[in-house]
Amino acid sequence: MQYSPENMVPFGPVHPALKEPEYFKLILEGEKIVEVIPRIGYVHRGIERAAQDRTWIKNVYLFERICGICSFAHSIAYTQAIENLLQFEIPRRARYIRLIIAELERIHSHLLWLGLVGYWTGFDTLFMWIWKDREHVLDLVETITGNRIHKSYSTISGVRRDLPDNIGEPLRKEMKYIEERSEYYKSLVSSEETLVIRTRGIGRINQDIVRKLCPVGPLLRCTGIARDVRVEDPYAAYDEIIPDVKTSNDGDIASLLLLRIEEVKESCRLVLEAFEKIPSGPVKLTAPRSVPKGEAIFHVEAPRGELFYFVRSPGGTIPDRVKIRTPTMANLLTATEMLKGHTLADVPVVLTGMDPCFGCMDRVSIVELDKSKQWAIRGEELRQFGIDWYKQRRSKT
Amino acid sequence: MKVGGMISKFRKSTVITVSPDHAKETCQLIVTELPEFYHLSTITGVDDDPSITLYYHFWQGGDFLSVKTGVPKTNPVIPSLIDVLPSAILYEAEVKDLLGVIFQGNPLMDRRLLLPDNYPLEAPPPLRKEADPEKIRKMMELE
Repeated sequence: MQYSPENMVPFGPVHPALKEPEYFKLILEGEKIVEVIPRIGYVHRGIERAAQDRTWIKNVYLFERICGICSFAHSIAYTQAIENLLQFEIPRRARYIRLIIAELERIHSHLLWLGLVGYWTGFDTLFMWIWKDREHVLDLVETITGNRIHKSYSTISGVRRDLPDNIGEPLRKEMKYIEERSEYYKSLVSSEETLVIRTRGIGRINQDIVRKLCPVGPLLRCTGIARDVRVEDPYAAYDEIIPDVKTSNDGDIASLLLLRIEEVKESCRLVLEAFEKIPSGPVKLTAPRSVPKGEAIFHVEAPRGELFYFVRSPGGTIPDRVKIRTPTMANLLTATEMLKGHTLADVPVVLTGMDPCFGCMDRVSIVELDKSKQWAIRGEELRQFGIDWYKQRRSKT
Repeated sequence: MKVGGMISKFRKSTVITVSPDHAKETCQLIVTELPEFYHLSTITGVDDDPSITLYYHFWQGGDFLSVKTGVPKTNPVIPSLIDVLPSAILYEAEVKDLLGVIFQGNPLMDRRLLLPDNYPLEAPPPLRKEADPEKIRKMMELE
């Protein structure tokens, strides 16, 4: 179908709107969106190709820099794939510690996302409050691992350092604090009119779309399907500390909000349970430098969904092929489907709803960033447009 | 379930090796007769001179089921999977951009998903073994 240029509104690629560049061509008919054509590849850094030149252990540090928010998920997926190839049993204590840090990362990622939803709907105060609470989690992560974002904590036979000695007291205090604040935010998102009007009924998906388009993570669970890699295919210590998979039923952004808050509370509970039950022992073993020939597949539940690693070894110190499929790539089609039928004012909220992480998604070529020119509508304008549109609608009713 | 290919197990993943003409049919069988395996995790391409190996990874519960096939580098064409599973569209486009495999029937084959517009047409796709980063960078600067 041919669309005339007047109907096409480009959203991207370099937006103050999105934290990373991404390009969506939105085809409008009147005010409603009928088609969305994504174009990705703006943050390509050639990581899969770069991995073919580096040794196994150097690749751990390369892969954890794919993404800042789910950095630990990448690192444990890769190290566990290698441990699978080496047929290594890592110490139990290391598995528990990996669970604790992975859940802390999930909390910080969901809180970051909640804050962004507040920002995009014009509710700046919520954004500031949530990000302040997130600082509590990041300080805790810094005390344990030494860094807030790129933790460099997991290694090919466990974790690099043990937990600090007196971490129990701050851990319990912070988790209790986050749980209380999550209760408060939960009541806020269901009652605050600014949020409700912009999220309820927006971006509805159902189980048929899920079967065709295969999304992962909270986007899948908000339709009522309880699929979670931590429960179906346990890794780290999830076979002993079993998470309760949360779902919500409406498939819209409001149910995604409630779902992620529930997941934050569940993560707090898992962290405390893992800390109470953690066994003693070593935290790492010595891994050989050379990995035997073979292929391994490993997936983990990153905060955004299923993160998939495929590693092929030719039997040496350097991998042959590492393929990474990040959750944002799996969710992209579902997000474009969610946008259809809505107006331009809903675009920022729906796109943020799928929790995009383009740093994770574009990492496979060795060429430079695209030099597309910037189009007429800027991120700030789009955000203001959304806020004004809804204000007008409320004043009319 | 009848499938004309070789089955091998590697830890928790079962790999079915078929010829490229039967790959789509095998995936269709998986989706219809093993409905729990409907989730396509991704499509991986690996450059193994002189052919390109493709893996279609399906996941359910604790098991992975991978369909492995290979296309020759001189004629890297294979039917697309999108009428069986629409979610394959982006994964196939990625394999096409990076390894040059054409999936017949996929609407994104004539446009680039990941590569930038100024990536030279004569340069080999980036993930192939003959693609030398230095040479490609020189080609792009001259343009």
